[in-house]
Amino acid sequence: MRTYEVLFILSPQVPEEEATALVTEFRGVAEKTGATLKTEEPWGRRRLAYPIHKFNEGNYHLFVFESDGSLAELDRRMRNSDRILRHIIVRTDLDLKRAEKLAKRNPKKERVRPAPAFTPEANAPEITPAAEEPAPA
Amino acid sequence: MATTAPRRPHSGGGGGGGDRDRGDRQGQGGPGGGPGGKKKFFFRRKRVCKFCVEKLEYIDFKDVKMLQQFVPERGKILPRRISGTCALHQRKLQNAIKRARIVALIPFAAD
Repeated sequence: MRTYEVLFILSPQVPEEEATALVTEFRGVAEKTGATLKTEEPWGRRRLAYPIHKFNEGNYHLFVFESDGSLAELDRRMRNSDRILRHIIVRTDLDLKRAEKLAKRNPKKERVRPAPAFTPEANAPEITPAAEEPAPA
Repeated sequence: MATTAPRRPHSGGGGGGGDRDRGDRQGQGGPGGGPGGKKKFFFRRKRVCKFCVEKLEYIDFKDVKMLQQFVPERGKILPRRISGTCALHQRKLQNAIKRARIVALIPFAAD
Protein backbone atom coordinates (compact mmCIF):
# COMPACT_ATOMS: atom_id res chain seq x y z
CA MET A 1 0.00 0.00 0.00
CA ARG A 2 1.45 3.29 -1.04
CA THR A 3 0.71 6.69 0.34
CA TYR A 4 0.59 9.68 -1.93
CA GLU A 5 0.32 13.32 -1.18
CA VAL A 6 -1.31 15.36 -3.86
CA LEU A 7 -1.01 19.09 -3.59
CA PHE A 8 -2.45 21.29 -6.26
CA ILE A 9 -3.16 24.95 -6.85
CA LEU A 10 -6.43 25.97 -8.41
CA SER A 11 -6.56 29.18 -10.33
CA PRO A 12 -7.89 32.05 -8.25
CA GLN A 13 -10.31 32.89 -11.05
CA VAL A 14 -12.29 29.72 -10.52
CA PRO A 15 -15.43 30.54 -8.54
CA GLU A 16 -16.03 28.69 -5.35
CA GLU A 17 -18.77 26.31 -6.45
CA GLU A 18 -16.73 25.27 -9.44
CA ALA A 19 -13.69 24.80 -7.25
CA THR A 20 -15.47 22.40 -4.94
CA ALA A 21 -16.88 20.60 -7.97
CA LEU A 22 -13.39 20.23 -9.39
CA VAL A 23 -12.06 18.98 -6.11
CA THR A 24 -14.71 16.30 -5.87
CA GLU A 25 -14.12 15.41 -9.49
CA PHE A 26 -10.41 14.87 -8.91
CA ARG A 27 -11.12 12.88 -5.83
CA GLY A 28 -13.48 10.73 -7.86
CA VAL A 29 -10.83 10.18 -10.51
CA ALA A 30 -8.39 8.95 -7.91
CA GLU A 31 -10.92 6.76 -6.19
CA LYS A 32 -11.90 5.18 -9.47
CA THR A 33 -8.33 4.01 -9.93
CA GLY A 34 -8.35 2.27 -6.60
CA ALA A 35 -7.15 4.97 -4.24
CA THR A 36 -8.75 5.71 -0.92
CA LEU A 37 -8.74 9.16 0.51
CA LYS A 38 -7.05 9.40 3.86
CA THR A 39 -7.09 13.10 4.56
CA GLU A 40 -8.13 16.18 2.73
CA GLU A 41 -6.98 19.63 3.60
CA PRO A 42 -8.18 22.75 1.89
CA TRP A 43 -5.53 25.36 2.50
CA GLY A 44 -7.57 28.04 0.85
CA ARG A 45 -6.13 31.09 -0.80
CA ARG A 46 -2.44 31.57 -0.40
CA ARG A 47 0.03 33.93 -1.87
CA LEU A 48 2.26 32.30 -4.43
CA ALA A 49 5.97 32.64 -3.92
CA TYR A 50 6.26 33.69 -7.53
CA PRO A 51 3.63 34.56 -10.12
CA ILE A 52 2.24 31.70 -12.19
CA HIS A 53 0.34 32.71 -15.33
CA LYS A 54 0.35 36.23 -13.94
CA PHE A 55 -1.55 35.17 -10.85
CA ASN A 56 -0.16 36.10 -7.49
CA GLU A 57 -2.53 33.96 -5.50
CA GLY A 58 -3.74 30.45 -5.69
CA ASN A 59 -6.23 28.16 -4.09
CA TYR A 60 -4.30 25.33 -2.50
CA HIS A 61 -5.73 21.95 -1.79
CA LEU A 62 -4.13 18.83 -0.39
CA PHE A 63 -5.15 15.20 -0.70
CA VAL A 64 -3.53 12.24 0.94
CA PHE A 65 -4.37 8.98 -0.80
CA GLU A 66 -3.58 5.40 -0.13
CA SER A 67 -3.41 3.21 -3.14
CA ASP A 68 -2.01 -0.01 -4.48
CA GLY A 69 -1.70 1.32 -7.97
CA SER A 70 -0.47 4.58 -9.29
CA LEU A 71 -2.16 7.91 -9.60
CA ALA A 72 -1.17 8.30 -13.21
CA GLU A 73 -4.69 9.05 -14.34
CA LEU A 74 -5.11 11.80 -11.76
CA ASP A 75 -1.74 13.19 -12.72
CA ARG A 76 -2.75 13.26 -16.38
CA ARG A 77 -6.06 14.92 -15.65
CA MET A 78 -4.43 17.53 -13.50
CA ARG A 79 -1.84 18.29 -16.09
CA ASN A 80 -4.49 18.77 -18.73
CA SER A 81 -6.77 20.91 -16.64
CA ASP A 82 -6.34 24.59 -17.24
CA ARG A 83 -7.86 25.35 -13.87
CA ILE A 84 -4.85 23.93 -12.11
CA LEU A 85 -1.83 26.13 -11.95
CA ARG A 86 0.47 23.56 -10.43
CA HIS A 87 0.23 20.16 -8.90
CA ILE A 88 2.62 17.77 -7.31
CA ILE A 89 2.20 14.14 -6.38
CA VAL A 90 4.66 12.76 -3.89
CA ARG A 91 4.91 9.23 -2.64
CA THR A 92 5.58 9.40 1.06
CA ASP A 93 5.20 5.94 2.57
CA LEU A 94 8.78 4.87 1.97
CA ASP A 95 10.25 8.02 3.43
CA LEU A 96 7.94 7.93 6.40
CA LYS A 97 8.73 4.31 7.06
CA ARG A 98 12.42 5.04 6.86
CA ALA A 99 12.01 8.00 9.17
CA GLU A 100 10.18 5.86 11.66
CA LYS A 101 12.93 3.30 11.59
CA LEU A 102 15.57 5.94 12.11
CA ALA A 103 13.61 7.45 14.95
CA LYS A 104 13.41 4.07 16.59
CA ARG A 105 17.09 3.45 16.16
CA ASN A 106 18.04 6.82 17.58
CA PRO A 107 15.43 7.52 20.21
CA LYS A 108 15.36 10.99 21.51
CA LYS A 109 17.80 11.33 24.31
CA GLU A 110 19.12 14.25 26.19
CA ARG A 111 22.27 15.56 24.74
CA VAL A 112 24.57 15.36 27.65
CA ARG A 113 28.08 16.17 26.85
CA PRO A 114 30.11 13.38 28.35
CA ALA A 115 32.73 14.55 30.73
CA PRO A 116 36.22 14.04 29.40
CA ALA A 117 36.95 10.47 30.16
CA PHE A 118 39.96 9.84 32.31
CA THR A 119 39.74 6.13 31.94
CA PRO A 120 38.54 5.23 28.50
CA GLU A 121 38.11 1.56 29.41
CA ALA A 122 35.57 2.41 32.04
CA ASN A 123 33.33 4.07 29.49
CA ALA A 124 33.68 1.54 26.78
CA PRO A 125 31.26 -1.21 27.83
CA GLU A 126 28.60 1.28 28.68
CA ILE A 127 25.85 0.43 26.26
CA THR A 128 22.69 1.98 27.52
CA PRO A 129 19.54 0.33 26.31
CA ALA A 130 17.31 2.83 24.65
CA ALA A 131 14.90 3.69 27.38
CA GLU A 132 12.97 6.60 26.07
CA GLU A 133 10.16 6.64 23.62
CA PRO A 134 10.94 7.67 20.08
CA ALA A 135 10.04 11.22 19.29
CA PRO A 136 6.40 11.68 18.38
CA ALA A 137 6.51 12.71 14.78
CA MET B 1 32.57 5.51 24.26
CA ALA B 2 34.49 6.42 21.22
CA THR B 3 34.17 3.03 19.65
CA THR B 4 30.44 2.58 20.03
CA ALA B 5 29.15 6.05 19.35
CA PRO B 6 29.97 7.60 16.01
CA ARG B 7 30.41 11.30 16.06
CA ARG B 8 27.95 12.03 13.36
CA PRO B 9 24.61 10.48 14.16
CA HIS B 10 23.83 9.63 10.57
CA SER B 11 26.77 8.87 8.45
CA GLY B 12 24.66 9.21 5.34
CA GLY B 13 24.65 6.87 2.40
CA GLY B 14 27.64 5.25 0.81
CA GLY B 15 30.52 7.42 -0.24
CA GLY B 16 30.73 10.34 2.05
CA GLY B 17 34.46 10.63 1.56
CA GLY B 18 35.22 14.00 0.13
CA ASP B 19 32.20 16.21 0.40
CA ARG B 20 33.38 19.65 -0.18
CA ASP B 21 31.29 21.70 2.17
CA ARG B 22 31.57 19.68 5.25
CA GLY B 23 33.36 22.55 6.87
CA ASP B 24 34.81 20.78 9.84
CA ARG B 25 38.31 20.65 8.55
CA GLN B 26 40.91 20.15 11.12
CA GLY B 27 44.03 20.92 9.16
CA GLN B 28 43.57 24.65 9.02
CA GLY B 29 44.90 25.52 12.39
CA GLY B 30 48.49 26.20 11.43
CA PRO B 31 50.03 29.65 11.35
CA GLY B 32 50.31 29.73 7.58
CA GLY B 33 46.71 28.61 7.36
CA GLY B 34 45.74 30.67 4.35
CA PRO B 35 43.49 33.62 3.66
CA GLY B 36 40.56 32.41 5.74
CA GLY B 37 42.62 32.06 8.85
CA LYS B 38 41.90 35.24 10.68
CA LYS B 39 38.14 34.82 10.54
CA LYS B 40 38.40 31.97 12.96
CA PHE B 41 38.80 34.17 15.99
CA PHE B 42 35.52 35.99 15.98
CA PHE B 43 33.46 33.75 13.80
CA ARG B 44 32.17 30.59 15.26
CA ARG B 45 28.73 29.17 14.77
CA LYS B 46 27.22 26.35 16.64
CA ARG B 47 27.25 23.73 14.02
CA VAL B 48 24.82 21.00 14.87
CA CYS B 49 22.36 19.40 12.56
CA LYS B 50 18.97 20.71 13.55
CA PHE B 51 17.23 17.60 12.33
CA CYS B 52 19.50 15.27 14.20
CA VAL B 53 19.07 17.20 17.41
CA GLU B 54 15.32 17.44 17.17
CA LYS B 55 14.99 13.94 15.74
CA LEU B 56 13.00 15.10 12.79
CA GLU B 57 13.61 12.30 10.38
CA TYR B 58 10.98 13.21 7.83
CA ILE B 59 11.33 16.58 6.18
CA ASP B 60 8.02 17.68 4.82
CA PHE B 61 7.95 19.88 1.74
CA LYS B 62 4.72 21.46 2.94
CA ASP B 63 6.25 22.81 6.12
CA VAL B 64 7.09 26.22 4.76
CA LYS B 65 8.04 27.77 8.05
CA MET B 66 10.62 25.14 8.74
CA LEU B 67 12.01 25.21 5.22
CA GLN B 68 12.31 28.95 5.24
CA GLN B 69 14.94 28.77 7.93
CA PHE B 70 17.15 27.16 5.31
CA VAL B 71 16.29 29.53 2.51
CA PRO B 72 17.73 32.96 3.13
CA GLU B 73 16.46 36.12 1.49
CA ARG B 74 17.91 35.47 -1.88
CA GLY B 75 16.07 32.19 -2.18
CA LYS B 76 19.11 29.98 -2.33
CA ILE B 77 19.43 26.84 -0.28
CA LEU B 78 21.64 27.46 2.72
CA PRO B 79 24.79 25.39 2.35
CA ARG B 80 25.44 23.00 5.11
CA ARG B 81 28.86 24.47 5.61
CA ILE B 82 26.90 27.30 7.19
CA SER B 83 23.79 25.66 8.57
CA GLY B 84 25.62 22.67 9.99
CA THR B 85 23.07 20.21 8.71
CA CYS B 86 24.40 16.72 8.30
CA ALA B 87 24.74 15.22 4.84
CA LEU B 88 21.75 12.96 5.09
CA HIS B 89 19.42 15.66 6.25
CA GLN B 90 20.79 18.25 3.89
CA ARG B 91 19.93 15.94 1.04
CA LYS B 92 16.42 15.44 2.30
CA LEU B 93 16.06 19.12 2.97
CA GLN B 94 17.21 19.88 -0.52
CA ASN B 95 14.56 17.62 -1.99
CA ALA B 96 11.90 19.16 0.20
CA ILE B 97 12.88 22.68 -0.79
CA LYS B 98 12.87 21.80 -4.45
CA ARG B 99 9.43 20.29 -4.14
CA ALA B 100 8.17 23.32 -2.28
CA ARG B 101 9.50 25.49 -5.06
CA ILE B 102 7.50 23.61 -7.66
CA VAL B 103 4.24 24.42 -5.95
CA ALA B 104 5.21 28.02 -5.30
CA LEU B 105 5.52 27.73 -1.56
CA ILE B 106 9.08 28.97 -1.71
CA PRO B 107 10.60 31.17 -4.39
CA PHE B 108 13.16 29.89 -6.85
CA ALA B 109 14.90 33.21 -6.67
CA ALA B 110 14.07 36.43 -4.92
CA ASP B 111 15.69 39.81 -5.01
